[in-house]
Amino acid sequence: MEVLKEEEEGKEAAKQEAAAEAVAEPAAEPLEEGEMMQPQEVGRRGTIMTQEMLRDLEKKLLGIEITVPEKPSIITKDTIDISKLPCSYQSNTPEEEHLLEVADNFSRQYSHLCPDRVPLFLYPLNECEVPKFVSTTIRPTLMPYPELYNWDGCAQFVSDFLSMEPLPDPLKPPSHLYSSTTVLAYQKGNCFDFSTLLCSLLIGSGYDAYCVNGYGSQDLCLMDLTREPCPLTVKPKEALWEKEEAPPKKYAVRPPRDLTSRFEQEQERKRQEKIKAEEERRQREEEERLQEVDSTGTDPLHGLRVHSWVLVLSGKREVPESFFIDPFTARSYSPQDEHFLGIESLWNHKNYWINMQDCWNCCKDLIFDLGDPVKWEYLLLGTDKPRLSLVDEEDDTLSEDYDIENLGKEDEDKCFDMPHSWVEQLEISPEVFETRCPNGKKVIQYKKAKLEKWAPYLNSNGLVCCLSTYKDPECTKILEVKEWYQNREDMLELRHINKDTGLIVDYFKPGHPQALRVHSYTSMQPEMDRVMEFYKTVRVDGLIRREETPKTMTEYYERRPDFLSYRHVNFGPRVKKITMNSTESNPRTVLKITERFFRNPAKPADEDVAERVFLIMEERIQLRYHCRENHITASKREFLRRTEVDSKGNKIIMTPDMCSSFEVEPSEHTKKLLYQYETMMQLKKEEKLCRHQAWESELEVLEILKLREEEEEAHTLTISIYDTKRNEKSKEYREARERVMHEEHLQQVEAQLDYLAPFLAQLPPGEKLTRWQAVHVKEECLSDFKQRLIDKANLIQARFEKETQELQKKQQWYQENQVTLTAEDEDLYLSYCSQAMFRIRILEQRLNRHKEMAPLKYMALEEKLCKDPRLAELLKSFV
Amino acid sequence: MNRLYNSLEPRVMDDDMLKLAVGEQGPQEEAGLLARQEGILFKDVLSLQLDFQNILRIDNLWQFENLRKLQLDNNVIERIEGLEKLTHLVWLDLSFNNIEAIEGLDTLVNLEDLSLFNNRISKIDSLDALVKLQIIYLRQFKNLRALSLSGNPIAEAEDYNMFILAYLPDLVYLDSRHIDDHMKGLAELKHQFSIDELKHRENLIQARLEDEQARREELEEHKAAFVEHLNGPFLFDSMYAEDVEGNKLACLHGAGELLEAYKDKFVVICVNIFEYGLKQQEKRKVELDTFNECVQEAIQENQGQGKRRIAEFEEKHLLSLSAIRDESELSNLEKKIVECSKDISELFNTLMTLEMQLVEQLEETINMFERNIIDLVGLFIENVQSLMAQCRDLENHHHEKLLEIAISALEKMVKGELEEDLPDEVRALFVDKDTVVNAVGSSHDIHLLKIDNREDELVTRVNSWCTHLVDKIHKDEIMRNRRRVKEINQYIDHMQNELDNLECSDIID
Repeated sequence: MEVLKEEEEGKEAAKQEAAAEAVAEPAAEPLEEGEMMQPQEVGRRGTIMTQEMLRDLEKKLLGIEITVPEKPSIITKDTIDISKLPCSYQSNTPEEEHLLEVADNFSRQYSHLCPDRVPLFLYPLNECEVPKFVSTTIRPTLMPYPELYNWDGCAQFVSDFLSMEPLPDPLKPPSHLYSSTTVLAYQKGNCFDFSTLLCSLLIGSGYDAYCVNGYGSQDLCLMDLTREPCPLTVKPKEALWEKEEAPPKKYAVRPPRDLTSRFEQEQERKRQEKIKAEEERRQREEEERLQEVDSTGTDPLHGLRVHSWVLVLSGKREVPESFFIDPFTARSYSPQDEHFLGIESLWNHKNYWINMQDCWNCCKDLIFDLGDPVKWEYLLLGTDKPRLSLVDEEDDTLSEDYDIENLGKEDEDKCFDMPHSWVEQLEISPEVFETRCPNGKKVIQYKKAKLEKWAPYLNSNGLVCCLSTYKDPECTKILEVKEWYQNREDMLELRHINKDTGLIVDYFKPGHPQALRVHSYTSMQPEMDRVMEFYKTVRVDGLIRREETPKTMTEYYERRPDFLSYRHVNFGPRVKKITMNSTESNPRTVLKITERFFRNPAKPADEDVAERVFLIMEERIQLRYHCRENHITASKREFLRRTEVDSKGNKIIMTPDMCSSFEVEPSEHTKKLLYQYETMMQLKKEEKLCRHQAWESELEVLEILKLREEEEEAHTLTISIYDTKRNEKSKEYREARERVMHEEHLQQVEAQLDYLAPFLAQLPPGEKLTRWQAVHVKEECLSDFKQRLIDKANLIQARFEKETQELQKKQQWYQENQVTLTAEDEDLYLSYCSQAMFRIRILEQRLNRHKEMAPLKYMALEEKLCKDPRLAELLKSFV
Repeated sequence: MNRLYNSLEPRVMDDDMLKLAVGEQGPQEEAGLLARQEGILFKDVLSLQLDFQNILRIDNLWQFENLRKLQLDNNVIERIEGLEKLTHLVWLDLSFNNIEAIEGLDTLVNLEDLSLFNNRISKIDSLDALVKLQIIYLRQFKNLRALSLSGNPIAEAEDYNMFILAYLPDLVYLDSRHIDDHMKGLAELKHQFSIDELKHRENLIQARLEDEQARREELEEHKAAFVEHLNGPFLFDSMYAEDVEGNKLACLHGAGELLEAYKDKFVVICVNIFEYGLKQQEKRKVELDTFNECVQEAIQENQGQGKRRIAEFEEKHLLSLSAIRDESELSNLEKKIVECSKDISELFNTLMTLEMQLVEQLEETINMFERNIIDLVGLFIENVQSLMAQCRDLENHHHEKLLEIAISALEKMVKGELEEDLPDEVRALFVDKDTVVNAVGSSHDIHLLKIDNREDELVTRVNSWCTHLVDKIHKDEIMRNRRRVKEINQYIDHMQNELDNLECSDIID
């Protein structure tokens, strides 16, 4: 090892020497401002002058790196098989060497100029112990998954996919920075691995993203979310829809005069405010108290903990404002966030910048104008990063123009592009992408909440995500549980369980056999409190919602041809039936049915029923009609159907007092008894129908409950037909097809088999066949084929004979030993005999068949040869 | 049943026959009893069957306004008549009669099924023009879907089927048989030429009607703006239409050009008036629309409040009513009834207050609108008058010029220097100065009169429109108020009655 290192050093040194001149110029360029220049000049000359100095520095540099205490990380060198890694991992290209030179130079200048700042994180070692510049570790990649096209998807993926491990030394950047391919393979990494991978993905999908080396809070560095509320529990702020007040119209009526006392109102308002303020104060106090509890044990290392995250600058991909992404949690933060305590440096795949601004106030005052050399010191010149601030642009334009004109050529020469990344193409296989979290499971602890995630199909009931919310910060008392499901055959999407009330709400995706959308219940027993909502476009009867309590059932409809909108049924107690054969369901007695209807535009308002109440116990029917236009009262009608027989026992058909009505605009024909009688008959019929429908609804509820129970029991998962991996059917089909294809291919090969090839090969190549040769070839071929047929026949014959002989021997043996044989042996012998007979019979058949087929085959070949284009001409003339 | 199949005596459709038929075919069983008690009005009958009655003439059916289905088969009817009032008729059966022509059905626009089976609808020569007209006559019934004509001489024509299918493409059943698309296609092909011609003619008529309609509408619009016939030289032309002298004088040398120039200027002013009028009309319309919209909004809001109040009341009222029914103690009962009636009167008060409030609000708004619209009209009149004054100025100017020309012409004529050939009647004017001046003056007078008349007409009409509008608004508001008050009273009375009835029955109990 030691020797190797030295060798490498030597190599490096030699290369450095060669490139020294060229390197020094561009590297020094950015710093050549003001008086800082002088000391570097000296240093640089020194490097050119003596090789010893160079080596010295080299060693010093190495020394710096060695001082980083190497704590055993989980991905140790032993676990990584270095030998299989490509050579770009194991060595540096000349460009990379050059770059390292530049970086080295830069770092020296930097440490000279800013002796009080920590050394730069420029070229950590990779998994093969080769120093690699951080920018070249970023490998911009666009993944072939639509989920990874946007930043939030990328961040979520990275945070899910890798499991976090803390930095070996929380106060220093790590000594090693592995390639993203290795990190992906082992699904583990520290914050630098996380941010490098995320940065690669983000730059690949077009974001202006940067890895940041800086300082974060303890929570951030240790991925401790227990003080953060879960993002899933935070309700999205309701966008306040300020209704645009239409300007008062010219002739708008004046509102009636307000006669209430202003003074009283004022007093009332004041009182309310006071109460509110009091409440607020109490709440604030409470919060403060809680916060105190929370913030106990402040971090002694606050502000010193090294962390790495990703900065996304505005501009590209329609990002309106720059923001940070914490790769551990996939959360985005504004640069003003208190978790981010400072930035040392940042880099992307093209360049490296050092923050020259003071971070006394976290990152709140930082200006991310990377083109401004006062605020951000860059490593390489020439990577385009336009200055954003236009403040002193004015003064500089002239001189700059001048400079550009003059120095354009020189600049070009000096420009040094970042070498291409040494990391191999990042690849994520679909299986791994779907499994996501290591082992497909991940648990995150939030403040008063716990989030668990699983890969799809990992749980047999399709559970993919579970969020438990707790009442107390210690997470002992569960408040509610939300479970998300995927690929369920019953289309269950989300189950929300409230532990306090015991209320369970199931949400379904479209496609449930009963068109269920939401089902909220406390128990699966019928005739309890429950609400079912349906997908209205699916149901033929237009039902959208059914609410149940132990005594009532309310249904809401929409878009029905009979304009029914609402039906409310009151049930009475169940009547005990004496008959025991309870195959028929025993419906409860119905006390009252209320139905409401939408306005039917085809009917006049006076004939369009708005509400219909069947008071079944009182034998009354109440009708309320729709309100006419420009009216405030509606017609009403009430039918009594109690008296069927009068005092003398005569059947009463209809008397005026059986129907009392109020009509807004009395009309002639509705007064008639006949009309009333017909209406009542109609209503009676409809009452029957309504009761039947109520009964059917009850049955349907029972059916749905049964179905739900069965579904819960079975919890089968559906597999998309596009899911080639899981769908057994399609897999079989595909395999069958492949097999068929393979066979076809074989046949084709056979068809293309050239019978003449071996014989033609004997002849001198490239010459035309003479007739004699053609005949000869044909004969040869035929004779060869004949020989083969004979051989085959002989072979079959030989086997046949062998088989027969063996059988005979066995039979002989049997006859000799028949007396001494056990039953077992006899069985064995018999089975052998039958098998042998079978074999013999088959061989016999084959032989016969061969004998039959051989002449035909021979003839076929002859014909084929005659038709062969190479021989046909010659043979034809011959024939 | 007194169906006299063999009797050759034709019968008359009289009241008795109709009553009998209605009674027989009306509601049965219990409902029939009720119906007999009350009697059935002919206008409530929806379907009527009058077969095998030996009817000769259709008559006395005018009362059956709402009849949908009428069966007059197996009679001896000779003409289709007396069906004009049955506009709702959908189903008409006239088979087995002696009808000779399809006629008298013009008002039955809803007709869907027409059966003329076994009649005497004749052919003279095979499908001649007259018969064709019979079929084309049926084209006006857009809803006709079923037709049966077989058993008529007409149906014996060789391409009877084809002909009918081609000319009545919306038909679904012909002679009780469903028409298949194939036959329809064939028929169409066969008679394509004549049908196209027919369609073309119909389209032309339609287009002409539409054109006329559009023109009429435009004129209406202009009339609404009170500036009709001002977008051209109509006024000018009318000025000269009755002006004999003026036309004569136009022949004078120089008068023609003068007249042309005058006309141009005059027409420009007229068009100005026209455009101004349209603009003002638009303004008035916007004003009126805004007003109507606002009033409607206010009324709707008020109605909404009223409905809410009533709904609240009814909810409470129902509860208290049932409580009263269940109450047995007399003192409690009385207390509750009193409470209930108090509720009713309270509702009455709130509803009336609401209504009064609305009336006040609307009154204010209407007054404001009235002021504004009167202002608008005033402004319009003022501007039109000033424009008309310009017209008059022009006329005066023209008059002076014409006078000059006339006098100079007279002088020339007196001197005998007039070289042009003037018609004799014009020459007759130039006898002396007075005659000439009189002629020019009278022409001028006529012109001024015309202009004045037009102006007066405009002003009176616009004013009357304005007063009419305002009156109507006031009247409508009053009517609305009365209706609402009546409605409220009716409702409250009903409620009170209900309560009283309850009281009575309770006391009786």
